[in-house]
Amino acid sequence: MNQKISKKDISKLLDELGKEFKVFSPSRESGVTTFAEWDGRDSSFLEWYRNTVISPKAQLQPLYEKMFSFHKDKEGYHLELPPPTDKKLIFGIRPCDAKALTIIDKTFQDTYQDPYYLDKRKNTLLVGLGCTNPYDSCFCTSLGLSPTQSSDVDLMLTDIGDEFLIEAVTDRGMKLIKKTSYLKEVTKTDEAKAEEARRQASSKVTRRLDTKDLAKRLLSSFDDQDFWEKVSNKCISCGICTLLCPTCYCFDISDELVKKEGSRFRSGDSCAFPVYTKMPMENPRLEKWRRVRQKVCHKYEFYPMSFEVIACSGCGRCIRLCPVNWDITQILASLPVKVKA
Amino acid sequence: MTNREAEQRLRDEAKSLLESAKVDYIVGFADGSLKFHTTPLITRNKDDVDHLVINPFMASNLAKFLTELEGRVGIVAKGCDSRSIVSLVQDNKVSREKVVIVGIPCRGMINLSKIEQLAGKESDEIDDITRQGDKVVVKLDGSEKEIPVKEVLFDHCLACELPTPKEYDLLIDEPIPATPDEEASQAKINKLEELSHHERWRFWQNEFSRCIRCYACRNVCPACYCQRCFVEEAEPQWILSIPKWQDNLIFQIIRNIHLAGRCTDCGECERACPVNIPLRSLSKEMYDLVGELFGFKSGMEIDAAPLLTHYELEEAEDFFR
Amino acid sequence: MPVSDISYRKRFLTKDNVYLPHLVIIEKIIDETPDTRTFHFNFKDKGLREEFPFKSGQFGEYSIFGIGEAPFCISSSPTRYDRLEFTVRRVGSLTNALHRLSVGAEIGFRGPYGNGFPLDLLEDKNLVFVAGGIGLAPLRSLIWNVIDNRDKYKNIDIIYGARSPADLCFKYDLKNWDKDKSINMVTTVDKGDKTWKGRVGFVPQVLEEVAPSADSAVAIACGPSIMIRFTFPVLAKLGFTPEQMITTLEKRMKCGIGKCGRCNIGNLYVCRDGPVFTYAQIKDFISDEY
Repeated sequence: MNQKISKKDISKLLDELGKEFKVFSPSRESGVTTFAEWDGRDSSFLEWYRNTVISPKAQLQPLYEKMFSFHKDKEGYHLELPPPTDKKLIFGIRPCDAKALTIIDKTFQDTYQDPYYLDKRKNTLLVGLGCTNPYDSCFCTSLGLSPTQSSDVDLMLTDIGDEFLIEAVTDRGMKLIKKTSYLKEVTKTDEAKAEEARRQASSKVTRRLDTKDLAKRLLSSFDDQDFWEKVSNKCISCGICTLLCPTCYCFDISDELVKKEGSRFRSGDSCAFPVYTKMPMENPRLEKWRRVRQKVCHKYEFYPMSFEVIACSGCGRCIRLCPVNWDITQILASLPVKVKA
Repeated sequence: MTNREAEQRLRDEAKSLLESAKVDYIVGFADGSLKFHTTPLITRNKDDVDHLVINPFMASNLAKFLTELEGRVGIVAKGCDSRSIVSLVQDNKVSREKVVIVGIPCRGMINLSKIEQLAGKESDEIDDITRQGDKVVVKLDGSEKEIPVKEVLFDHCLACELPTPKEYDLLIDEPIPATPDEEASQAKINKLEELSHHERWRFWQNEFSRCIRCYACRNVCPACYCQRCFVEEAEPQWILSIPKWQDNLIFQIIRNIHLAGRCTDCGECERACPVNIPLRSLSKEMYDLVGELFGFKSGMEIDAAPLLTHYELEEAEDFFR
Repeated sequence: MPVSDISYRKRFLTKDNVYLPHLVIIEKIIDETPDTRTFHFNFKDKGLREEFPFKSGQFGEYSIFGIGEAPFCISSSPTRYDRLEFTVRRVGSLTNALHRLSVGAEIGFRGPYGNGFPLDLLEDKNLVFVAGGIGLAPLRSLIWNVIDNRDKYKNIDIIYGARSPADLCFKYDLKNWDKDKSINMVTTVDKGDKTWKGRVGFVPQVLEEVAPSADSAVAIACGPSIMIRFTFPVLAKLGFTPEQMITTLEKRMKCGIGKCGRCNIGNLYVCRDGPVFTYAQIKDFISDEY
């Protein structure tokens, strides 16, 4: 049965959850929106939060993380793994960002389990918050998502005025509801309000991406160098769209050594950078159009081939944060080849 | 000339440049896909030039693309862009003969972040932003708000020394005289300078701890034209590829040193940063230092020699000999 | 088996963590050429050798702690239990650091990764090995593997070349194979020197001259991409079908297990789905980025 909570009680709820979990909620630090550890500050994020620049993916695959540390003594090297991850709860994740995690799970589970990501994933509860004021760059509905509903979270909250309606999506979510204070039973009116909020939110997402036969269309345009050169000419090959994308997971591995103590780290990497594929004698993606093509095709063609899901949840960050307003939805709409259904 | 007339003239000129094969490419601004955004338009197709616009949201420095494009390029240039072009010509990165500079007198570009802060709304929620003389009118939720333009222009625009390109092949409108307001432009930097060394160090530590190493600051910068940036060197490895704040800071410091005498204070690094690191507070310091020490302002005079890569036999220092 | 089904591959993990290397000790270092060395290594925990499964053509991620990690194929044969070797050309920071190591050095190793050569496809076939420069390293593992099971295979041709006599790797093996009457060993150099009495000519040219029959044969080629590009057409001319041509591809890699993203060619990852592919597979690649 659905529950509800007064917006005034959100701070108290997060305090309470904070006893069991490391709670992360939307936060604005030096003008940059991100998910930060809840420190009882206040719940004013409810006023301004639409979506964050730094997606909550950063809690599961941080921009950089230590894989292990090493030191050397008379017996040789000793390697030490970082301590096990804390139990985390991400409060307020948007359906697009939650879906993004489900998408990248595929890669991290594929063949070899990725211990760093999957341990954090297993120990992180997701409390979704329906999106009622999407950006003009958002296009989640084109990828089959609803801005207010999600099967990728444990609990889902919907704004119904002074309160949030709470749905348990998973068993974990249900368990959490059961032991949480401040919840009230919902009425039929509440349910109706939630339904109306959902309907309105969906209609606010106006940007469109035609995903029909997209992988096929990309495949038939793959060798069209003129097209890729044209759509990549204004790209500046920075890493914003990839490093801040919640479905981009590529990483680099490198060592740091300070005196005799060292660590191996992994850190975000981007297919936009020429050095990403650079080998001593050659570089298969030296040209900018090849890198742009890789980025686009990886998301909408290769990923679906491997995992039957498009590696994009329509969060719109790549459009919103691009210094030159390179717009993936426009690029895909301008694909030269249309495949007949 | 009204803005519309100027736009039409620009389109006509661009079209004739392409038609007469005087250029292979036109590089200018078109409306972006987001409200109050422009996007670079780089085209060989004369039909595309009808998308060229002139408005107060043309923040990008298009000179960046000159080092990438092969052939002759007709480029729309604000004063600051023209300075970058001149600087690239001086560095032998761009051949002056291959560039047709289409000058646009500029009264400053609107910084959407400043509008957002004043309006308490993000730009896509704002209905309209129009410039009317010294005011900017912001329409929001059915009401109008007038803001003095100085409060919403980019900091580097406030200090602009060259609103109208000095080096151009065509000028689209009447020149605009420079009215730099150094004090307003320096406000953020002055505040920093009031801090103690210790506080400033803490400040930068905090700022650079957010850096994600997207290199947008470097990649939007026309003066950052190195084929291979020192950050990607493996032998020796100058900085780690891990975005730790110390390495992030060193990256910016070295970048600024490399740009001494090339930086034109176009402000693109700060604008492009997705995590709000006030990069101009560093680069402007270097810009001013170069001015103080050498009396040099990059990109102002086409005949000037590049500052730090030029050597004369009469030079007092003899380390090059 | 579809290209990307690798569920059958054995895991050889440390503490259940695929990124945590095993410690291995460098036991011997051999100068192959002025810029190439072969390192003999063994697990620091010697008991691990017995559990360590690998196939010719598979690779490992080798690391010097504090410098970094890079992939190299295992250049020794799994049929030689006492040998674990990898061969490195000095080209970057890690390879330079590897070349500075001395015997007894402790480094990290994880693997084996990649698919390896399809031995079942080679059985009862005439085998034509075509290699250039350090490209002999993965083939050498396979060649010894084949020699150690000689009766399973038919004729063996080896065509190997390098830029100069000094750049020929594994000269001690070349000598052995040359002596072996069951092998047709052809060595060539792009440019000879005063002492060189052997063949002079590029590998694809020499291959064309030697003209091994495509009948019931498989050609396995490895070398610089320019060599590979000229080798496939020659093989085709000799009658080899795309299914009869095998090569192993090289890409920049970090994770080695299909996660970090960079070694893809279209939808395939060279580390996970390769590095060994038939030319028939390569022709079907979406992308030409190899």
